[in-house]
Amino acid sequence: MFGSKKDPTIRFLIRSFIILLIISIIIFSFLGIYMNRKSEKAVYEIGEIYMSGMNQQMSKNFENVIELRFNQVSSIVSVVSPENFDKEELYKELLYRAQVRGFDYLALCSADGKFESLCSQSFIPLNPAPFVEALIQGEKRAAVGVDSNGNKVVLFGVDAAYTMKNGSKSTGLIAAVPLDYISNFLSIEDKNQLMYYHIVRPDGSFVIQNPNTDLWEFFEKLQKRSVITENKASQESFLNEFGIALEHRNEYNTILDINGKTCQINGIALPYSEWYLVAVMAYGVLDDAVTVLSTRRVVITLSSCALILVILTYIFIRYFSMTHFQIRELEQTRQKALEASKAKSEFLANMSHDIRTPMNAIVGMSAIASTHIDDRDQIQNCLKKISLSSKHLLGLINDVLDMSKIESGKLTLTSEQISLKEIVEGIVSIIQPQIKLKKQTFDVHINNIFTENIWCDGVRLNQVLLNLLSNATKYTPENGAIQLSLHEEESAKGDGYIRVHIRVKDNGIGMSKDFLSKIYDSYSRADESRIHKTEGAGLGMAITKYIVDAMNGSISISSEQGKGTEFHLIFDFEKSDTSEENMELPAWNVLVVDDDELLCKMAADTLKSMGIQNAEWTLSGDKAIKLILERHKNDEDYQLILLDWKLPDINGIQVAKEIRRMFGANVPILLISAYDWSEFETEARAAGINGFVSKPLFKSTLFHSLRKYTETYTAQSQTDENLHLQGYHILIAEDNELNWEIVNELLSDLGAVLEWAEDGQICLDKFQESEEGYYDAILMDIRMPNMTGYEATKAIRQLDRSDAMSVPIIAMSADAFSDDIQRCLECGMNAHTAKPIDVPELTRLLKKYIS
Amino acid sequence: MTLKECYEGLGGDFDSVLLRLNREQLVEKFIYKFLDDKSFCLFKTSMENMDYAEALRAVHTLKGICQNLSFTNLYESSSITTLALKENDYQKAAESMPQLSEDYHRIINAIQMYQSSKGE
Repeated sequence: MFGSKKDPTIRFLIRSFIILLIISIIIFSFLGIYMNRKSEKAVYEIGEIYMSGMNQQMSKNFENVIELRFNQVSSIVSVVSPENFDKEELYKELLYRAQVRGFDYLALCSADGKFESLCSQSFIPLNPAPFVEALIQGEKRAAVGVDSNGNKVVLFGVDAAYTMKNGSKSTGLIAAVPLDYISNFLSIEDKNQLMYYHIVRPDGSFVIQNPNTDLWEFFEKLQKRSVITENKASQESFLNEFGIALEHRNEYNTILDINGKTCQINGIALPYSEWYLVAVMAYGVLDDAVTVLSTRRVVITLSSCALILVILTYIFIRYFSMTHFQIRELEQTRQKALEASKAKSEFLANMSHDIRTPMNAIVGMSAIASTHIDDRDQIQNCLKKISLSSKHLLGLINDVLDMSKIESGKLTLTSEQISLKEIVEGIVSIIQPQIKLKKQTFDVHINNIFTENIWCDGVRLNQVLLNLLSNATKYTPENGAIQLSLHEEESAKGDGYIRVHIRVKDNGIGMSKDFLSKIYDSYSRADESRIHKTEGAGLGMAITKYIVDAMNGSISISSEQGKGTEFHLIFDFEKSDTSEENMELPAWNVLVVDDDELLCKMAADTLKSMGIQNAEWTLSGDKAIKLILERHKNDEDYQLILLDWKLPDINGIQVAKEIRRMFGANVPILLISAYDWSEFETEARAAGINGFVSKPLFKSTLFHSLRKYTETYTAQSQTDENLHLQGYHILIAEDNELNWEIVNELLSDLGAVLEWAEDGQICLDKFQESEEGYYDAILMDIRMPNMTGYEATKAIRQLDRSDAMSVPIIAMSADAFSDDIQRCLECGMNAHTAKPIDVPELTRLLKKYIS
Repeated sequence: MTLKECYEGLGGDFDSVLLRLNREQLVEKFIYKFLDDKSFCLFKTSMENMDYAEALRAVHTLKGICQNLSFTNLYESSSITTLALKENDYQKAAESMPQLSEDYHRIINAIQMYQSSKGE
């Protein structure tokens, strides 16, 4: 399922990646080629513009050079006047002037085309006809000619009328320089130049022929063309166009492939002649540059393409792996959600079943009860079962509610002052019946618990311990053993805290490693067939874990299947600031008899810490009797004996009987029991047991149990003791004499010493006049003349005395409206009791606040 | 005439007062003392003088005595008056006075009859 889900995504990604690759290559190649073409074209265009410019300049130069020469010739004509000289002198003068101006040749030309050389060498134009024609018409004309030695010369002819040798008048004076003059000037023959030049006549024949042979063939064709133009057989449009341009002396530009080389050709007409300047630029050089450029461009384009592709590939791979990771996570989350939802549905199914079972019992029992409405026993039985089932149901619902609170984050802890002793005692008494039912043994070990009062959420701590203990009883078979132990050490959090270790241990069925790993998961339960009948919502451990975490505690479990489980809780509790009672006992000899060695040791330690001189212990009744006998012989009797109810050989009650039989009723014997002693109280008392101490043996438990047997506490029956107020000084503020007398009568009976204050003012005065700490309590009527009870209380509380705040003030009023009570408390009274006077209630209140 | 009969005559709860005070002698002692108690007179004069605060205090005290001695009838009528005065409803307080007075005098008469029967 996983693979098939993944495939299309990967396929899509790979496909798009390949497409992207192809598209990029195409685009980049196209770009490269296009740009190459464009740049080539641009280079050619630049070449054309360059050539045209160069040519024009060349033609201008040519014009300047030719014009210079013409001017020189004209100046000869203007300087040498024909009239001033005879023929011979004239010729000499002319020649001299010409030589001075750098002309090598000089001649006169007649109208009929006859050339008369004035220098040593004769020369004639190659094409005399148009030359002479131009001269006759009075124009200046340049032309190429040849001297008698066959050297090419350039002729410059101007209009001049000198007398010729035959006496006729000349039509022009012609001076000449060697052809090199022009070709040097135009640098026509320089091979190193980018461009080279030909000068041609309109018919295509060369005036000056460049040594570069590339175009020779072309011009030959051009000359032939003029012959065959008539036949209109030419198919080369270029030849035609060029020929036409030549004839019309127009500028002409073209690109031509000659012998596989690309050339740019530019033609321009030269002034003062029939000549045409043809510039040729071979693109070979330019092409090289362009090729280098395009090669570079291709390289750069391709490398940038490659770079982009590499980056894209990288991004693609990263993205792919990220997506992959996300998909995997999503899959895991989905799996988890599925599991959770499965667990929840399983839980719902279980819960429905679990809820239905007690519900069925309730419904069924109600039905049975209604059919046996007159049978008292039956109804009692039904009601008992109904109440059991209801409690069970309530437990289930509470768990679910707690869990939903936890899941919605609404479970909060409160911090209250609690006593570890009370918590453990409470738990023990709750769990006792369950343990008894399964005939399990239950030991509570309290070790070194010196700080009993702490700040903690008592209800939640209770819940945690109860859950662990009820699990222990649940998962431990009959006759198993369960142990709860507490010990205390210094907390890492500082002096204000103590670290409490709580262990709950059983030798029950234990847990598998698999189960341990998910024990704190909500809605899970050790749901194997062997524990199918175990009830509960399966939320207990999740709730426990949450509460322990919320209390900043830790919980650890060690468990082995078939051997048992041990839970270890560690909490750092803040010490409560209530000052610990100064617990001191006389230097007695005390014997502790219990089959649990650990308990004996701990009890002995605790007793010693309270001032007991000799705290001895033994594990059996027989040994105990021997020890007592020994001490009796030495006249060092024990002052008190603590006896476990359950001993291995004989039970505690029988031991007590034995002791009483042997040593009489002098030594108080206390029975230690973790069980409710009401069942065997009568038997125990008959056997001579003086009292009971409930397990667990906290320091305060031991102290309060033993204190009764010290000198100040004579053994009295419990009811009497509850109601005595011996020696208490109580101030009664009461305006009515009759009421005062009634209170006085009743409380004096209990041993209290009463004084009467007739109103609030007198009450305040009496209190003020008394010694500090003299009055143990004040009973305050509310409605009194002069000063009401409220005012008197406020005044007393504001007095500057050590007992001003601590003396208990109890309101005694005929009003029992809640706002009255509220007002009493606001004024600083400790409690409120309504008339008529209720002696037990009043005594209870007095004792509560006085102690 | 027994003490129990006396209580029945004055409209009180003998069982509850005996439970509170334990001994018949004490009950007798306190009901004789009730004859001398000035609360009712104080209440009456205060009402006549329209000193309602004092009247409230007096009737309140009377109520307290009734509670302690379990004078049920007088307790009920004094409660009504107390409440009325507490709520400053003087009209109602005045209206409740005849009943209060009747209950009071019934007690006084009963105790005096008991006293004279004892004296004989």
